[in-house]
Amino acid sequence: MDTRPYMQDRAAEEFFSRLERGSFQTTRCLACGETHYPPRIVCPACLGEDMEWVDLPREGTLVAFTQQSDAIRCRRPDVLGLVELEGIGNVITRIDAPFEELRIGIQVAFATWTSPDGVALHQFRPLE
Amino acid sequence: MREAYIAGVAMTDIGWHEEDPHDMGARVCAAALRDAGLTPSRVEGLISTPHGYMTGARKMITQRMAGYLGMECGLMLEIDSGGNSSSVAVHIARDRIRQGGINSCLVFAAQRETPPKEIRGDVVGHFHLIKDANSLYDSYQAAYGVISPLPFYAMAIQRYMHLYGITPEDIARVAVLLREHALKHPQAAYKEPLTLGEVLESKILTPPIHRHESSEMHDGAAALVVVSGELVKDEGRAVRIAAIREAHDATSFIPYRGEISRFPCVGRAARGALDESGYSIADVDVAEVYGAFAGMEPMMYEELGFFAPGEAPAAIEEGRTTHGGEVLINPSGGRLSLGHPAYVTPLLEFVEVVRQLRGEAGERQRLGASVGLVHTEQGFINGSIVAILDRLKGQDAGAR
Repeated sequence: MDTRPYMQDRAAEEFFSRLERGSFQTTRCLACGETHYPPRIVCPACLGEDMEWVDLPREGTLVAFTQQSDAIRCRRPDVLGLVELEGIGNVITRIDAPFEELRIGIQVAFATWTSPDGVALHQFRPLE
Repeated sequence: MREAYIAGVAMTDIGWHEEDPHDMGARVCAAALRDAGLTPSRVEGLISTPHGYMTGARKMITQRMAGYLGMECGLMLEIDSGGNSSSVAVHIARDRIRQGGINSCLVFAAQRETPPKEIRGDVVGHFHLIKDANSLYDSYQAAYGVISPLPFYAMAIQRYMHLYGITPEDIARVAVLLREHALKHPQAAYKEPLTLGEVLESKILTPPIHRHESSEMHDGAAALVVVSGELVKDEGRAVRIAAIREAHDATSFIPYRGEISRFPCVGRAARGALDESGYSIADVDVAEVYGAFAGMEPMMYEELGFFAPGEAPAAIEEGRTTHGGEVLINPSGGRLSLGHPAYVTPLLEFVEVVRQLRGEAGERQRLGASVGLVHTEQGFINGSIVAILDRLKGQDAGAR
């Protein structure tokens, strides 16, 4: 039973393969300089198709968090959260901390995580 | 431009059904046509939706029904636009009738999902359905194993509570009220009363959402007959679609920018529909609102313009959204307690508002209701449709 998610687009495949190598990056349009999140193969701002990959901020603010009951991975006790990266937007991610210890607005930092079924993902953990 | 009216409505009981969705669909189509006083030979348009999300695909549903009931149509569509699907169908039916292309359109939806117990009983055998559910979400959301929108709604509700100081009791109270409404509806899925304590003590599915604050997937079917004025057989029972407006945000499930507890498309659809109809939100007597979670109901009431941001929970507690209040919202019991066959839900909302405006809502009738609102949504409220319905001019309050 293959539990790995379908990768639904080329930019996502590239994002997760870079993540597997420890890079946390997204696309920037070479024509107009717009940075996108999530990454794109076409630029929504100028419709250009030439991209470079640039680093995303590795620290952000916890906007919201919960625990899934039914899910393929990241079920309770795992925490799923939304982290705001300044100038980028909201990133959905695993949060590496007990649910009860989290508060909206705390600062969190990027880390990599490999799920029990072998999927390379990102997670964020509270800054001490 | 000419007007479009809803002349016939029908729905099955909502619950868990063994019956094939085709047969449920045929029964509601026939009942809606009888209600409108029309025969299949008078149907010029036929629009439907898929039979569910976790069903495996059955294609050409609309064509099958046209052949089965003998409808020679000038318009035939099957629409998949998520939770909005069947209200998109009503929107298209109304527009095509107003443009003069057709004089009548039958809209139906019938849903029968694979029962969750069956899936849990054989996860391996059903895993293709689970992966299909996962692939509803883009790669960045799907990667974390999401198979339902529950975590997104949970985080929106968490932020709404955080921003406005809304308490768990405020949210639980919505579920209790909707159950009270549903107890007056003989076709609702839920028949037992629900107390505040029961809601708050029910299992937390995805915090802060309790089990009794989350709508379950149900089965059922509904149909509407939309017609031009010349096909209205009974002026006393026809309801006019005064306006309908569709608005979507440029998002798919969780928005990657902006406040996740705000849903701008809802206000845009509501303001557009109200402007077109010439009514104000204060004119609305009865509304059916698509809030699939107790915590989403107050947010939707606010986005629609019934209350200012953060003020709906107090309004609900003061009885302003129930019988005797300024606006009767979700008299059917809503998604939480009428039940929620998602593809059918918009039609169930239309059925309830039509019954209210006709004065045929029985024990749950709002006396003298003359202006109604229907709100539906797709995805994580990434898009909304708002329709304003009213009675034909010259209709009196009658039995109301």
